[in-house]
Amino acid sequence: MAYPFSEDHDMIREAVRGWAQDWFDGGQGPEGVHKAGTGFDAKAWESLTKELGMAGVAIDEAYGGAGLGDLGRVVIMEELGASLASVPFLSTCGISVDLITACGSDAAKADLLPKIASGELIVSYCDGHNALKLEDGKISGGVSHVVSAANADLILLSLRDADKIEIIAIPNKTNGLQIKAHQTMDPTRAVADIRLDAVNKSDVTIIGTISEADLNELVIQSFIALAAECIGGAQKCLDMTLEYTGQRVQFDRTIASFQAIKHKCADMYVAIEEARSAVYYAATAEPAEKTEAALIAKATATEMFFKVAGDAIQLHGGIGFTWEYPLHFFFKRARANRTMFGTPTRDYERLAVGLLGDAA
Amino acid sequence: MSDPVQKVRDEFGTWMKENLAGEFACLKWRGTFGDDEAYPELRQKWEQKLGADGWVGVGWPKKYGGRGYSLPEMVAYNEEYARYGGPGRSGHIGETLFGPTVIAFGTEEQKKQFLPGIRAGTEYWCQGYSEPNAGSDLSNIKTKARLVGDEWVVDGQKIWTSLAVDADWVFVIARAEEGSKGRNGLVFLLVPLDQPGVEIRPITQITGGSEFNELFFTEAKTAKGNILGGVGDGWKIAMALLGFERGASTLGQQMIFANEVNEIIKLAKINGAYHDPHIRQRIAKAYAGLKIMRFSALRMLSGAEKGEWGPETYTSKIYWATWHRDLGELAMDVVGSEAEIMKDGEFGALQKMFLFSRADTIYAGTNQIQRNMIAERALGMPKEPRGDPNA
Ligand SMILES: Cc1cc2nc3c(=O)[nH]c(=O)nc-3n(C[C@H](O)[C@H](O)[C@H](O)COP(=O)(O)OP(=O)(O)OC[C@H]3O[C@@H](n4cnc5c(N)ncnc54)[C@H](O)[C@@H]3O)c2cc1C
Repeated sequence: MAYPFSEDHDMIREAVRGWAQDWFDGGQGPEGVHKAGTGFDAKAWESLTKELGMAGVAIDEAYGGAGLGDLGRVVIMEELGASLASVPFLSTCGISVDLITACGSDAAKADLLPKIASGELIVSYCDGHNALKLEDGKISGGVSHVVSAANADLILLSLRDADKIEIIAIPNKTNGLQIKAHQTMDPTRAVADIRLDAVNKSDVTIIGTISEADLNELVIQSFIALAAECIGGAQKCLDMTLEYTGQRVQFDRTIASFQAIKHKCADMYVAIEEARSAVYYAATAEPAEKTEAALIAKATATEMFFKVAGDAIQLHGGIGFTWEYPLHFFFKRARANRTMFGTPTRDYERLAVGLLGDAA
Repeated sequence: MSDPVQKVRDEFGTWMKENLAGEFACLKWRGTFGDDEAYPELRQKWEQKLGADGWVGVGWPKKYGGRGYSLPEMVAYNEEYARYGGPGRSGHIGETLFGPTVIAFGTEEQKKQFLPGIRAGTEYWCQGYSEPNAGSDLSNIKTKARLVGDEWVVDGQKIWTSLAVDADWVFVIARAEEGSKGRNGLVFLLVPLDQPGVEIRPITQITGGSEFNELFFTEAKTAKGNILGGVGDGWKIAMALLGFERGASTLGQQMIFANEVNEIIKLAKINGAYHDPHIRQRIAKAYAGLKIMRFSALRMLSGAEKGEWGPETYTSKIYWATWHRDLGELAMDVVGSEAEIMKDGEFGALQKMFLFSRADTIYAGTNQIQRNMIAERALGMPKEPRGDPNA
């Protein structure tokens, strides 16, 4: 049990790790998901949520969850990252849960949270308040590149209504809602475009209202889970590299004995551990520090994962460049994570605004 | 319920506020990286002031004049010290390196002999490890020690010895077994510097100052009892001492770093560097690194408190050293063309920091040695070959 985790966290980690590595090594795995072409493994999701009961990790106990907050989610995301398990945990159990918890009416919470916790409901959220228009009680507009939207039962959106922001929920079969899945470079995680054509506002559920500032903070804080995925993915890349370089022989010695390889691995390890600190810090930070900590965690971890995954390919030589060897899936996930919620450059600029004021 | 850590913060914070004032006010934030030669006498007086009020050696057991602070209390103490801009401690080698080593390996008599002077700020120590041919490969020590009657006689040379000019004693690793090699046959000797057999020659550094020195021993003498452990224990004790280097003081060091970052931000706002998008990225990254270091330290210390230094602790030296070296470069870019200009023939604080930070990735294990250690100890990779690779 290592700081900042408790025994509960350790138990979750052990369960999810075993499950996820089985999925990676002997189950559907990234290649299976690639072949299926859906960016989603429904069976895996069912097993993770219904057999292991992990969807409610950050949901209040009153609503059937485990109440383990950000840190519980970090543990699960690390393990999902280490296997690239194609499940919509990030969108369903991350920002969606947080939004419903933060601004949902009692009725919305009582309706949705237990269903999420039990794995009955897949939810995907995207910002809509600058993209969607509300006219005469009808909502129109589109949002691109929404994670897990193609598999979601329910789409959450933010909608500007006069001077307030409403969080609305639209079931996937609603009239006027189109969800168009993309083929993606990273085949293990589904991304889709959403279009609303004059969707009747009376056909959507209003979860609650929230200020734009609070919404922004909540969204940024949800990046912690993504950052945790990066830690898990990068650790797996390093583990694979240590194993491979430890048995690959060139010049009559293992390549792991070459200093250039050792030093590269040492740098990978340093980068992983420091990003890990950033993520654990963000997950445990006081509310006043949490948004900044989440930005730091996301920027650091997404950059780190991409670098580590690329270095891992380099240290594997030709085999690292093949489709058959699974490193490329991690490299592609790392690439995707860099731009999923804005680039690290944008995160650092946000920090810079806080430190230095606006650039102009 | 009174929280002992908060108690330390209140008590020592108040003491710092009240005492780092008057004649000592000019010491604020001085004597740190690259500024080791600022106010040497006044800083010794400050050391004595700290000592008189029981603020030296707070982590030592009470029976040796310490306060028996736990690790969290030590962290609080170091943070309060730095929060008020406490100056670089002239006695830190004695207090944080040698003191804990005597407490761990010394006899009761040795503890009685050496601890009070450190505790009072009247006796200063320096570290005689490196030699011209024993740097990263420290076990290649050539300095010799032989027992003649009631005395050890020492011959050889040390180099890069920090703060030797103001020191009274040096702890030396020397070879006591004729013909021994590597880590075997070494002794950990305590040698007084004020004697005819010891010559100290300052070495001028990149900063223009001379914080480090060469030490020449020509039949230098020290009493037979001035040895920690026995013949052959030198390596073990030397390494244990280095272990005391990591730990509670890192958080105080980070406050000094934070102060440097704040200075850079202030300057960027004044001189317009903040408009430059690349500078903005670098400042934001430096700030992020500072936060990461802090949490890493807390993460690692909380393990250490339970007696478990996890393998991740190997990452902290190379991380902070590299971060600080980068900060020096950033500082000069923010300063701009002014970075070239000396005032009254002296470097300013950021210029000194920039120059000195080149040493951070060299002393206490170079970055390359850190990577070797991480690869071998944290990651279990094969050990570096020794000697002629074709032999
Ligand atoms: C400011 C400052 C203060 C110091 N204070 C003290 C002090 O108080 N007491 C004391 O005893 N010492 C002190 N030192 C000495 C310091 O510990 C040594 O400089 C350091 O250990 C490196 O040794 P070296 O200088 O002999 O360099 P070398 O060991 O010769 O290294 C030269 C280069 O080779 C690289 N290298 C060496 N071995 C390997 C390897 N196996 N693999 C890859 N690369 C390698 C190094 O990383 C370095 O880049 C101080 C140094 C500095 C800069």
